[in-house]
Amino acid sequence: MTDSPTRTDAHLTEEERHGLADGSLSPDRRAGVQSHATVCGDCADDVARIHALMTRLAQHPDTPPAELDALWPAIRSRIERSKVVSLGAPNVHHARPWAKPAAAVAAVAAVVILAFTLGRESRGHGDDVVVTPVTGATPTVSVADSSRAYQEEVAALLEDLELRRSMMRPATAASVDRDLRIIDGAIRELTDALARDPSNPALRQLLAASYRQKRDLLKQVNDAS
Amino acid sequence: MTLRQRALARPLVTATDAPVLLADDVVRRAQQGDVDAFERLYRVHAPAVHALARRMLGDEGAAREMVQDVFVRAWERLGSFRGESAFGTWLHRVGVNLILNQLRVTKRDVARFIDDGADGTTPIPAFATSSGVEERIDLDAAIARLPAGARIVFVLHDIEGYAHDEIAQMLGLAPGTIRAQLWRARRQLMRHLDA
Repeated sequence: MTDSPTRTDAHLTEEERHGLADGSLSPDRRAGVQSHATVCGDCADDVARIHALMTRLAQHPDTPPAELDALWPAIRSRIERSKVVSLGAPNVHHARPWAKPAAAVAAVAAVVILAFTLGRESRGHGDDVVVTPVTGATPTVSVADSSRAYQEEVAALLEDLELRRSMMRPATAASVDRDLRIIDGAIRELTDALARDPSNPALRQLLAASYRQKRDLLKQVNDAS
Repeated sequence: MTLRQRALARPLVTATDAPVLLADDVVRRAQQGDVDAFERLYRVHAPAVHALARRMLGDEGAAREMVQDVFVRAWERLGSFRGESAFGTWLHRVGVNLILNQLRVTKRDVARFIDDGADGTTPIPAFATSSGVEERIDLDAAIARLPAGARIVFVLHDIEGYAHDEIAQMLGLAPGTIRAQLWRARRQLMRHLDA
């Protein structure tokens, strides 16, 4: 193959034909290839056919949206199932953007309130507490094991946070510390509640969720800074 | 403009939407756990995701299952979307990665990826015909007849608008191999469509 801009003798290569049709040919080669195409009908016709195919593709319609409406209920159902906190699936979570710390704090507050409510109910009514069950496919993980795993990860993230703290604005650092204190408070309350009612599955799930929330917050802060 | 570019340029709301919501607002609400907001994102982006899956997988049933998987995965990963690109771009990449994972097109499978059905005799799939869009079905059926390796490269480059180098990186193959698969796919597609 020659890159000479004056080439008119040999037919274009496959690379040159496709490159001319889809525009991927480098500028320094384009002039020479085009000069051949202007005098060679066979090559010009072939390039035109390739170009016509690409034009046809560009006008190719997507699937009409109405055809896909039927898929949404199943997707929604799977999403709703995934919202159930699962000790065995720590990677399935819905991280909130750290730019919305208030939402995280509100969620933690809700966790604490729910924990107290459930704690009182479980002490008062025993098995009457309604808890969304962890799915059957999820392996049973003790709270102690789950807490250890999360605590190790959180400890590493806290170290990262300390390294990055000097680069953070004071107001941001204060906000992070405040949110962490709230989450830590929730973890303490849940831990105490579990000590009083160790067989309460809702408390176990909420404790795992709190660790996860702390981990997510730290990740988001570290990623953002 | 490629289909991907068209999909990404698609407005998030239609004239019938009231009140009109900005795309960023809808994404932010979905990130905060609002499933209804996520449904709006689904209705806007599902056609492009479905088209991508159908063309890459070459099978309507598998494509519909993949659409579900892509949106469930997107929901799970919404927290990692930081708005550095358009939501459609991010979602598209989630879809491509998931589809490639399903096809197991990884470095380990290079040989199978390149050597698959080179004779172009892959049977024509039974695409749903309820839409009555003959052009779409004709072209999609022709694409589905391509050997898997050539089809994937062709869809990613000529339909979805990825560059040779990007595809090479995704598939762990040399750019020259990608170009050769692309040319092969175009030639076979022209033969199928002319037949």
